[in-house]
Amino acid sequence: MEGLFFNANNGYIEGIVRGYRNGLLTSNNYNNLVQCETIDDLKLQLGPAYGDFLASLPPNPSTSTLAAKTTDKLISEFRYVRANAVGSLAKFMDYLTYGYMIDNVALLITGTLHERDTRELLDRCHPLGWFETMPVLCVATNIEELYNSVLIETPLAPYFKGSLSHQDLDELNIEIVRNTLYKNYLEDFHNFVNTDSEMAGTPTAEVMTEILEFEADRRAINITLNSFGTELSKADRKKLYPAFGRLYPEGSFMLSRADDIEGVRLAVEGVNDYKTYFDQAGMGQSSGPGNMSGGSGSDGKSLEDLFYQKEMEISKGAFTRQFTFAIVYAWVKLREQEIRNITWIAECIAQNQKERIGNYISVF
Amino acid sequence: MSGATNREAVFPTRQSLGIMKSKLKGAQTGHDLLKRKSEALTKRFREITRRIDEAKRKMGRVMQIAAFSLAEVTYAVGGDIGYQVQESAKSARFRVRTKQENVSGVFLPAFESYTTEGNNDFGLTGLGKGGQQVQRCRETYARAVETLVELASLQTAFVILDEVIKVVNRRVNAIEHVIIPRTENTIKYINSELDELDREEFFRLKKVQNKKQRDTAIQDAEMRAKREDAEKRDKDKENEETGGGGDILGDDEDADVIF
Repeated sequence: MEGLFFNANNGYIEGIVRGYRNGLLTSNNYNNLVQCETIDDLKLQLGPAYGDFLASLPPNPSTSTLAAKTTDKLISEFRYVRANAVGSLAKFMDYLTYGYMIDNVALLITGTLHERDTRELLDRCHPLGWFETMPVLCVATNIEELYNSVLIETPLAPYFKGSLSHQDLDELNIEIVRNTLYKNYLEDFHNFVNTDSEMAGTPTAEVMTEILEFEADRRAINITLNSFGTELSKADRKKLYPAFGRLYPEGSFMLSRADDIEGVRLAVEGVNDYKTYFDQAGMGQSSGPGNMSGGSGSDGKSLEDLFYQKEMEISKGAFTRQFTFAIVYAWVKLREQEIRNITWIAECIAQNQKERIGNYISVF
Repeated sequence: MSGATNREAVFPTRQSLGIMKSKLKGAQTGHDLLKRKSEALTKRFREITRRIDEAKRKMGRVMQIAAFSLAEVTYAVGGDIGYQVQESAKSARFRVRTKQENVSGVFLPAFESYTTEGNNDFGLTGLGKGGQQVQRCRETYARAVETLVELASLQTAFVILDEVIKVVNRRVNAIEHVIIPRTENTIKYINSELDELDREEFFRLKKVQNKKQRDTAIQDAEMRAKREDAEKRDKDKENEETGGGGDILGDDEDADVIF
């Protein structure tokens, strides 16, 4: 039933996004990319997919400009879709950008805290997380002013409210602020897809719940792993875990008490997927966690790689459903991974580290 | 090597000859010592050059790994963390202290790096994702900086030693090719000058002797003449007494008589 009037409002968007999905690079394309000898070759290979956006690049561009240009394409496509979206889909897409907003706001807060000229930081902000009142953030010169008069106006205000006071902004590490915001954001997003009248009970809610639960679990696990050996206390750490997800509540509780990798492994034991990842990544035995264990060239995938892989698979799976907003989310994530892959391949080519070039993640 | 140009301006006296001789001896000892110093420094210099070569190669490798680990961070975090890391770094974790090393009288600064433990300002960077990569990247870069510090101390030593070796070699060469020949020349000059003086003196003495001889000869002659004269006068006196008065028709002119 839920699909009956879907196309009336959102059919066009769905068609467009599915079209974009077909424009993503396939493993065939990647095979061609990894055989490139120079960045120029790479540029040439990317020609069909990125065309105009790469045309203005000088010969032998740096990897960062390449990444910036590829991101530009995502941005312009996203803006087009957003401009055509109505109703709940528009709101859904706004929610999608909040994640990037959090990063931008965190960046600006850092700038304000250190009394830098925040104006020059605006260039560094992620364009997807741009919101109208963002330049206003630069007006604030101290943190209290920022909190009382500026942050209130941003779409992120509800995430600050109740969990962070302006003293917290001053005292807490910016990473904790960021992760607190992100936790609130994930919970809110989760709540939104499950309660909005247009989405509750539709495939959107189903797929998005899966994606968000995975995201929540991934963050919880990562925060736990990354907090070992830092000043982050267990109680503070617990506050950063989103209150939903497949690990919630037992797993989260065990995570909050974990002291080492072994503890994390025990905590995720209950969820088969994560348990397999831990076993595959060889965690809790000898080698350290982390992506592609620096320079040793191990062919085994690391935990983060596996998480990315899983995210991509879920995103790919989202396209098998029809009449759902989740494909927009999935498309953005897939495109981001593609940009990361291109950057990675470009770095490997630029730095002559061909043996690790195959470390990208391709699902199509 | 005309003696006039390449020697010191001294008066050719026996005293300055003595001074010059001790100077030559000093120069030779100094030359030996400096030569030895220069050799010691050159040995050290070669060693440092070799180590710089090694360090540079190592740096190449380490920097490559470091740059690559940064690429890994970009991949894992999916964004720019540079600003965040910059802002959250408060105190230096990696520090350098200097000490001095003495190589045959040359002080070479040596930099020594150490890390202050428990100072992890951006330990929470990438908490949500990529934290491990950030930490790993930090470690790799710490190693890279370590290599850089090592290289820096070697390079400084290299520059200083280079300078010192140049100076020492210049001194050795100056002593060998300028001071010693010049002193030798001076000695030669003084010797020749002294010989010359000796000869002059000898000649002068001879002259004086000649003159004296001549003088005595003249005196002798005069004496003899006087004696002869006297004898003659004695004889004339005798003649006068015998021969009677003067010659009237002789030379004496009579006054004209006017009538």
